[in-house]
Amino acid sequence: MSQNLVIDIENVTAAYGALTALNGVSLSVQKGEIFGLLGPNGAGKSTLLACVEGLHTPLQGSVHVGGSNVQHEPMSAKKRLGIQLQKTALLDDLTVAELVEVYAALYEVFLTKAQIDTLLKRFDLLEKRNTLARRLSGGQQQRLSLAVAIANDPEIILLDEPTSALDPHARRAVWNEIRKMHDEGRTIVLTTHAMEEAEALCGRIAIIDGGEIVACDTPTALIASLNLNATLKATVELPLEQVYDLPHVNSARYSGQHLEVETSKPEETMSALQGLAAKSGRSIRDVMLRQPNLEDVFLKLTGRQLSEIG
Amino acid sequence: MKRFLILTKSLALIQLRNGAILFWNFAFPVLLMFIYGVVMSEYMKYMTPGVIVLNALSFGLVGSSTMMLELREKSILRRLQATTLPAWQLITSYLLVNIVIGVIQSTLILVMGAVFYEVPVSTTSLFLAYPMIIVSLLTFMSLGGIISGVSPKAGTATAVGMTIYFLLMFISDMVFPVSTLPDNVKDIVPYLPAYPAVQLVRSALLDATLDEKWVTYILLLAAYGFVATLIASRLFRWEPKA
Repeated sequence: MSQNLVIDIENVTAAYGALTALNGVSLSVQKGEIFGLLGPNGAGKSTLLACVEGLHTPLQGSVHVGGSNVQHEPMSAKKRLGIQLQKTALLDDLTVAELVEVYAALYEVFLTKAQIDTLLKRFDLLEKRNTLARRLSGGQQQRLSLAVAIANDPEIILLDEPTSALDPHARRAVWNEIRKMHDEGRTIVLTTHAMEEAEALCGRIAIIDGGEIVACDTPTALIASLNLNATLKATVELPLEQVYDLPHVNSARYSGQHLEVETSKPEETMSALQGLAAKSGRSIRDVMLRQPNLEDVFLKLTGRQLSEIG
Repeated sequence: MKRFLILTKSLALIQLRNGAILFWNFAFPVLLMFIYGVVMSEYMKYMTPGVIVLNALSFGLVGSSTMMLELREKSILRRLQATTLPAWQLITSYLLVNIVIGVIQSTLILVMGAVFYEVPVSTTSLFLAYPMIIVSLLTFMSLGGIISGVSPKAGTATAVGMTIYFLLMFISDMVFPVSTLPDNVKDIVPYLPAYPAVQLVRSALLDATLDEKWVTYILLLAAYGFVATLIASRLFRWEPKA
């Protein structure tokens, strides 16, 4: 195993009874990455994380964390990990400070009061240190689960849907915390079904669907590799057959009054469209350009839209 | 060791901060003694050891397993499983907290019996009774472990535990003397887990001595406890049933 390889998953197949959740999945995560597992609910993302966490035993294949086989040397693997499960599952009749203390202690890391307070301050929870965890808001509980995840000072942090059910403000606060953890040199693996989250945070992404990895690369490379079109939107009345004849146009249609044009070179198409409008005596308003994104990648690879099934 | 102590402190705090647990664990046994006292005041001296075992039975079969089931249902056990905490430390810590609660419950009942119902209390009787109470608690908690292992939810475990509890309550010499039972039932009663516990605690408390069959009774309780622990450990699950 290379020194920079911190998680190595080889040909993992996992099932719940008769239901196959993962089918021959292989992937690796390098030290210092923010690695995203992107896919709809039920795709197998959480099962894959559970296999890395030692919470689910694969039917076949192997998982290594920091060189330790998760099945054969679970304690060695687990001590490198910080965990946040999809469902916030903490001893919520304890106070915030007690929780951080006990979860660190479970890894035989014994924090002083000052260390606990420093950690809570970082997650904006210091004022809540003596509040029972169950009395926190959703955003505070999510931040607490992140604080608990790094209480044992792990090299690798596994976050399962870290921002699900959070409002945009709380989501951005969690994103900032994830970036801070990354800046500290930690490796982060997160699952999400939100493409904007994957694009905002992840250096590399594995798209997972039906228990299989359908693509794995940087967001930019994934988008570039599929030669996806940009979409030009504008309010203008022009005959569609003339629009089709413009350079680099792959498709064109009207959605209400809005013309939508898919093009491989949006700047050249836009210039030609402006020329056509001027020649026809029409004005162009409300121009928008949408570059291809991970949603388009998912659609192209699976034939389904992530936002509709996530 | 420090990890074990911090975990045990945390589990104890969770129990102490839960109003329902506090009521059922500490207020209810006292209430139960008052109710029994009102209904059967002249028998309370004889019945108090039975009530102690009855309470230990209820706590072991139902009360002690409820928290574990709640931890499992809320996925907290799964979160603990993801740490480097060995399962045996969790179980031992959990048992320790529950033994302490069970002993406090027994003490409350004993104090009630001594103050209101003339139950004799001496250093010898206490010295003999408490080990018997602890052995009984351990046996009943092991049996509760089987119930929580086979039950999909806390509600199911409570229903199963309470059914066994009521059955044993009526036929184990706790509140009704064995002499009042039908002959065919009398024959099997001595082999039930609650019966030896009652005999051991009753002779220790009321006579400040060990029952003449104390070795047999202890071995019987130990056998129940050992087998139940083996089965419970096989049935132990970190996660709810799918």
